[in-house]
Amino acid sequence: MTAALSMSGISKAFPGVRALDNVDFDCLPGEVHAICGENGAGKSTLMKILGGSYRPDAGTIQLAGTTVHFTHPRQAAEAGISIIHQELSLLPHRTVAENIFMGREIARRGLLDKAAMRRKAAQLLGRIGAEIDPQALVSSLSIAMQQLVEIAKALLLDARIIVMDEPTAALDERGSRTLLTLVQNLRREGVSIVYISHRMPEVMAIADRITILKDGKKVWTRPRDAAPVGEIVRAMVGRDLDDFYPAPPSSPPGAALLAVQDGTNAAVQDVAFTVRAGEIVGVAGLEDSGKGALAQALVGDAPFSSGTITLRGKPVTLRAPRQATAAGIGYLPGDRKREGLALHQSVRDNALLTLRSMAGLLARPQGGAFASNVIDGKLREMDVRAADFGQEIGTLSGGNQQKAIIVRWLAQASDILVFVEPTRGIDIAAKAAIYETMRSFADSGRGIVVVSSDMPELIGVADRILVMHRGRISGELPRGASEEDIMHLALGLADQPHREVHA
Amino acid sequence: MTTDAAKPGPARSGLPISILLAGLSIGFFVVVALATGEVSQLSGQGIVGLLQRMVALGLVSIGQTFVILVGSIDLSVAALISAVAVLASHIMQGDPAMILPAILICLGLCLAVGLVNGALVAYGGINPLIATLGTGLIIQGVLAASFGVLQGAVAREFQVIAYGGLLGVPYSLLLLAVLSLAAGFVLDRTLFGARIYAVGGNPDGARLAGIRTERVTLSAHVVASLFAGASGLYLAARLQSGTPWIGRDGIYDLESIAVTVIGGTILAGGKGGVAGTLAGVLLFASLDAGFNMLGVDAFLKQVLRGAIVIAAVAVHAIRTKEHVA
Repeated sequence: MTAALSMSGISKAFPGVRALDNVDFDCLPGEVHAICGENGAGKSTLMKILGGSYRPDAGTIQLAGTTVHFTHPRQAAEAGISIIHQELSLLPHRTVAENIFMGREIARRGLLDKAAMRRKAAQLLGRIGAEIDPQALVSSLSIAMQQLVEIAKALLLDARIIVMDEPTAALDERGSRTLLTLVQNLRREGVSIVYISHRMPEVMAIADRITILKDGKKVWTRPRDAAPVGEIVRAMVGRDLDDFYPAPPSSPPGAALLAVQDGTNAAVQDVAFTVRAGEIVGVAGLEDSGKGALAQALVGDAPFSSGTITLRGKPVTLRAPRQATAAGIGYLPGDRKREGLALHQSVRDNALLTLRSMAGLLARPQGGAFASNVIDGKLREMDVRAADFGQEIGTLSGGNQQKAIIVRWLAQASDILVFVEPTRGIDIAAKAAIYETMRSFADSGRGIVVVSSDMPELIGVADRILVMHRGRISGELPRGASEEDIMHLALGLADQPHREVHA
Repeated sequence: MTTDAAKPGPARSGLPISILLAGLSIGFFVVVALATGEVSQLSGQGIVGLLQRMVALGLVSIGQTFVILVGSIDLSVAALISAVAVLASHIMQGDPAMILPAILICLGLCLAVGLVNGALVAYGGINPLIATLGTGLIIQGVLAASFGVLQGAVAREFQVIAYGGLLGVPYSLLLLAVLSLAAGFVLDRTLFGARIYAVGGNPDGARLAGIRTERVTLSAHVVASLFAGASGLYLAARLQSGTPWIGRDGIYDLESIAVTVIGGTILAGGKGGVAGTLAGVLLFASLDAGFNMLGVDAFLKQVLRGAIVIAAVAVHAIRTKEHVA
């Protein structure tokens, strides 16, 4: 049987990253082929190449034996490839029918045939068992229903290859089950399905074959029967631990600094944990696990709707970032450029941001703690390397930018720092310096919560690791845990009763 | 949120807004006319007069609606209106034989400006506010510099557009009606319209759905410029000769944006339509007429208009919040 899709030798580099390195991938007619891999393993890049959004640097794509080159998503769509994206690409103010037919409206000489589109939309929705009125506005639908609209959109094209990128990420149990049934039906119709997911139970339930990607390379492709979950997890993570992490603390952690009980909001549920003086607590989890939401809740950006937070034994309310800052919780966001820095302002101004924002209206902006020589001293202490602290921070390397943000919070004398992806986009040497800084901050009797997708980093720097899965803390691991341990919990494979976790 | 899914959702939520606004405008006009005793304003002639106030702003606003729906904006329309009015008078020089060439050349200029605007925004990736502000400034500058040479008046026969009529309905009003219906039809019933809503509503989604988004944005800019040209030609006919400041004095750039937004088209794009925009234009026309009857001072008039623009948009903001929640 000729493969419906065959990609060979695909490579793609972005500035500073080798996203894909000589990857082969194929999918037979009527086959569900799952792709698994950590965050950043190259899954999405591979699919964007297939969908015509990116052009590969090297490699060929064949559809049913014919070589194709895509330069616009339209060409991929016309060739029978349909991609259901992780982020929904719907028009909220338009009807379901209009959305299903977006870009391929039924029209005669430019005039729309709305009745035909409504009929066909109803048919498609019926085929996937979705009880949705084609005339309803998309903004009035739940996320799960919107996902079904996306799938109807894909079916419209009679796509021979459907790519589903984390299709169940936004769905609840029932929605997921419906979707999986749908996948089975499509397979029976001879459609090839590329299924990207990190939900192991789903992958094991529907995949015919499984391919593992890691750091842009293919590890292996195997039939499902030859790929037990343990093997998959090992293949997804296995790599050498780098040795630039600081030594663990010599003394045990002190009194509890921060304690969260029953923290719940839209994205996380019943979160409970403590951070002690001198401790670095890591938070691991996959993209939709709620680990980012946990950080946002701690800094008051997207607060818990219920639950209690105590700082040094006293209950505090953190409903806005200003309250968190005043209480002594500092935030180092993962997206530094967007959430952390004023790129066109000086290093000095960026380092002074928190001090200035918390100061009274009448404080002299250049005097006292705000004086240039004071903050410059702190920047030098942190070894921020810049020709002049008056230069725009955007011209500094990622490592130096991160250090300048750390200075911002040190200047405010924060007790707890919440780091999100602290070393994303930072070179190795600067990484070591940042880990060193984190360690010495903790050793001075303060605490750190570090949320990261980089498992070696968590293992190397954290004293304890909380692992999240679907909005809950699915387990806690001591120092010395392996990546496999983390991945097991992150995939929800070791879903222990929550009582044990809290203990 | 869930109830909407069960019953057929309101597909065109622009319609109720437009009817509401139109009703409000007419109500205001009638009440003021009765209160001030200017009952003659309520005669057929009075109403036609009111509606005729809509023509210039109405034409340019229809075009503005296209660009705003596609997620862009056009600040060059005021300068383009002036350019067309001046150019039309200059070419015609009172000669009726030159009417058709003048119209064609003017629309040709609009086509060119629309293409430039569209290319800068869609292919150059330049922020539409800046791109169209720039082209507007260039047009205005060229116009002011060359006004000495560009003089003349439109042909008498051409002025029929502004002053002639059919069965008591001015041609200008018929023109506005026909072009409005055409624009509404294009947006609601054609492929081009559907693409405009798609690109404005979710540019990435539209691109992934295979739409060549740049072309759609470019076309919307061409439509906006052509409608501005129509508005300029009408003004030339009404005033007999164009001056380089016609567009700027009429604040057609900002007012066309204001009425479009008042009419329920969202600045982000992807939602709204021509019906709402026309209702917004009617609101402005009734306010003007009403304030004139009341003898409201010109500066106070400006203040009241500003307040009404803000109030109208605030009402939309609240309405949408309720709808989504």
